[in-house]
Amino acid sequence: MQMAAQTHTDVGGILRPQGHLDVATALAPYEAALGERAAAHLLRRAGFGGTPDDVRRFAAMTAREAVAQLMKFPSAQSIAPPQALADFEQGSYTGKARGREGRRTVVAMQEWWLDRMLSGPAPLQEKMTLYFHGHFTSRATPRFAWITYNQNALFRRYALGNLRELTREVSKDPAMLLYLNGAQNVAAHPNENYARELMELFTLGVDAYGERDVRESARAWTGWQVNRRAGTSAFDASLHDDGQKTFLGRTGNFTGDDIVNLIFEQPQCARFFAASLLNWFVYNDPEPELVERVAAQLRAHDFELSPVVATILRSNVFYSERAYRALVKSPVEFVIGTYKTLGLSSVDAGALPALVQMGQHLFYPPSVAGWPGGQNWITSGTMIARQNFLTQLLGSQTLENSSWLRGLPLSASAAANDVAQRILQGDAAPATLAQLNGYLAGAGTAALAALSTENYDQRIRGAANLAMASPAYQLN
Amino acid sequence: MKRKDFLIATGSGLAVVANTEHVFARALAQTPLPGLPGSSDRCLVLINLFGGNDGLNCVVPHGDARYYQLRPGLAIDRNDVLPIDAHTGFNSAMRTLKSLYDKGVVAVVQGVGYPNPDHSHFRSTEIWQTAAPDRYEHTGWLGRYFDDSSPNVPNLFRGVAISRVLPEVMISQRTDVPAVPALGQYALAADRDAASRDAFAQGSRDRRLPFSSPYLAHVMEVEGNAQRSSEELPRLVAGYRPKASYPATVIGRSLALAAQIIGSKLGTRAIYVEHGSFDTHVNQKVVQTRLLGQFSDAIGAFYQDLAAHGNDRRVLTLTFSEFGRRIEENGSRGTDHGEASPLFLIGGGVKGGLYGTLPDLAATNMGNVRYSVDFRSVYATVLERWLGRPSTAVLGGAFAKLPVLV
Repeated sequence: MQMAAQTHTDVGGILRPQGHLDVATALAPYEAALGERAAAHLLRRAGFGGTPDDVRRFAAMTAREAVAQLMKFPSAQSIAPPQALADFEQGSYTGKARGREGRRTVVAMQEWWLDRMLSGPAPLQEKMTLYFHGHFTSRATPRFAWITYNQNALFRRYALGNLRELTREVSKDPAMLLYLNGAQNVAAHPNENYARELMELFTLGVDAYGERDVRESARAWTGWQVNRRAGTSAFDASLHDDGQKTFLGRTGNFTGDDIVNLIFEQPQCARFFAASLLNWFVYNDPEPELVERVAAQLRAHDFELSPVVATILRSNVFYSERAYRALVKSPVEFVIGTYKTLGLSSVDAGALPALVQMGQHLFYPPSVAGWPGGQNWITSGTMIARQNFLTQLLGSQTLENSSWLRGLPLSASAAANDVAQRILQGDAAPATLAQLNGYLAGAGTAALAALSTENYDQRIRGAANLAMASPAYQLN
Repeated sequence: MKRKDFLIATGSGLAVVANTEHVFARALAQTPLPGLPGSSDRCLVLINLFGGNDGLNCVVPHGDARYYQLRPGLAIDRNDVLPIDAHTGFNSAMRTLKSLYDKGVVAVVQGVGYPNPDHSHFRSTEIWQTAAPDRYEHTGWLGRYFDDSSPNVPNLFRGVAISRVLPEVMISQRTDVPAVPALGQYALAADRDAASRDAFAQGSRDRRLPFSSPYLAHVMEVEGNAQRSSEELPRLVAGYRPKASYPATVIGRSLALAAQIIGSKLGTRAIYVEHGSFDTHVNQKVVQTRLLGQFSDAIGAFYQDLAAHGNDRRVLTLTFSEFGRRIEENGSRGTDHGEASPLFLIGGGVKGGLYGTLPDLAATNMGNVRYSVDFRSVYATVLERWLGRPSTAVLGGAFAKLPVLV
């Protein structure tokens, strides 16, 4: 059986851009001033898009300046949890009421998170939190909502932190211990669920270990217990298998921490994360040569993310034509990006149901592998959900709060250009521009009056809808 | 019970079990199958029991003392098993499926798997969907079947996935399959103004863009198909009236929609449905019993509905799950990932009975049931004897056919 060691889990529908990679210069810094197109690209990738004002502000910067701006994060202590959690705790609910109120609390947390993505001080911090949520997946535990919040806070704390430390922490995190059954993994009856996914999906990929490694790792992880009410985990030595284990060719009385350390010594581990980060930030299915370069950076920085992510976001390959619009917008990027683009500063009630219909229910990933991404986001069902979200938002009261939609010129061609530029940053096809123009000038097939003060609101909303229906808008 | 009585009974929502007894009298009378294999009258419904359905507690080896030794807390009590014979029986939650089995329209194939089993949900699901255990394939086996049998007249609904994400099994080179989570969600909102709808319908197909993207072609194609199929599907299936009361479960609703699509005769050859999660590392008895009961009841309603419309012989249902589970229970009243497990073929053309080999709980593969039937043999049988296509190209090799279909 011929199979190259995989650098990411192959789900199908993940496509590499065409063209040639210049490996030698790929990670070298991109020196030119950004301009609006590259600024919008950076804001979409390192966050969830920008308002037209953000785009203009970043356009004047170099990549180095822009990335330095984006990497200023508020301290973990300064971030207050959503009020709903305290209220939930105060309520001391039991039985059915606890389930109901817990689910309500999870919804409040979803909205709180979406608002942080949209208008919080550090979109890159939220982008990395979302990355880890899809990478180290767990499902919400509504009856013990703090457990769900605490994992989210852990990811935010490590947003650009050390990958090895985060892997050790998340392995003992109550949400993870519950989701992948670590809490049921005891010496007398090992449960392999976490041990397997730790290697397959979180750190190494398939084909980089054997079945015996799974079983031995499970033994090393025995003993971690969860107190659901307190939302904490603790190691119980009496439930731990204290014997010798042989793992990835080494033998010793290993604990879970030892297992993580041994995994991170594998050359494949740096490759796995390098490919995963390139997939997240640059383009899908990155070339092995590029993966190897980023993996070397990860090793050189002892798995500290901050310098490596900075290198990626400042690199030539990141600003290359091959990377541009080379990813499919995830539903969260699509939804939050739309509010941003329209200059809105908080999400409305339409966001959460729309995200579910588009296939990205936060805190409820479809499987332990997270969201498959790429082409998998785009099915006829999810495309309909995307269009319906736009139609609903652009027809709603929420739009009254748009920072710019109400201030466009009354000339049809000027308004059409403004709409296209702010929404698509020059990525409109000639036919789309002509269509926008015709629509606003009243020259289309459906006889319409030209743009005027009387019809302004309704027609500009229609024009924004048209621009967002362009295929470019689905791409990140 | 006469046919009229039966309809009244279903209308009043009587238990599914009672009704299927009579409905399948027709099937037993050997109504001829519609058309030859590959006839457009024939449809395959593929049900993914995702998460890894524990085979031993689903099709229970109640005659094997080892089963009770290895699963002291988890085995299905002998008295609860719905026996097929002295050795094998159905999980007690599957009364409806058992009654269909007794009518001769259910084939149980035991010990299905593949060489070098993979214990990852992800990879093993991919293997079952792509039918490629020894290489990475981007298309599914049904996707390749669609491509291989491309008709002259394009049909938007040759395949339908009743799911939010398009499953890999239906990914193909040339055939776009709509993923329809529910009919009510599959329509473009009408409140966009007419002029922007017009403009939208004409435009955005211009490929002269100032960038290239590996995903652009896919986005454009799906956008166009979504628009057309969402306009057509609700209209095309609007005339259908179900003649069974489906359970209010996800699988119940999914199979109700499948029956509606089949009954509306859109030329659909394959429908994908999913049910789960069967990943029972903990508390297996409660979870799996509930899921198997939901599956069995939904299948009962589905074939009742199909039969009442004269469609039951047109529809072959095939189940699969990425793997069975470890023979020995774990310490959490559950089971870990395993290997071979049974699958079901139900309905049109099925020669009911037990196939494959009994699970050997002594000669195991590191505590897992060894496979004896290659899953591609099941696919080859379905492709050739039901869908009427040569299987070698689709499956990348020749596999023995099983005698499970007429």
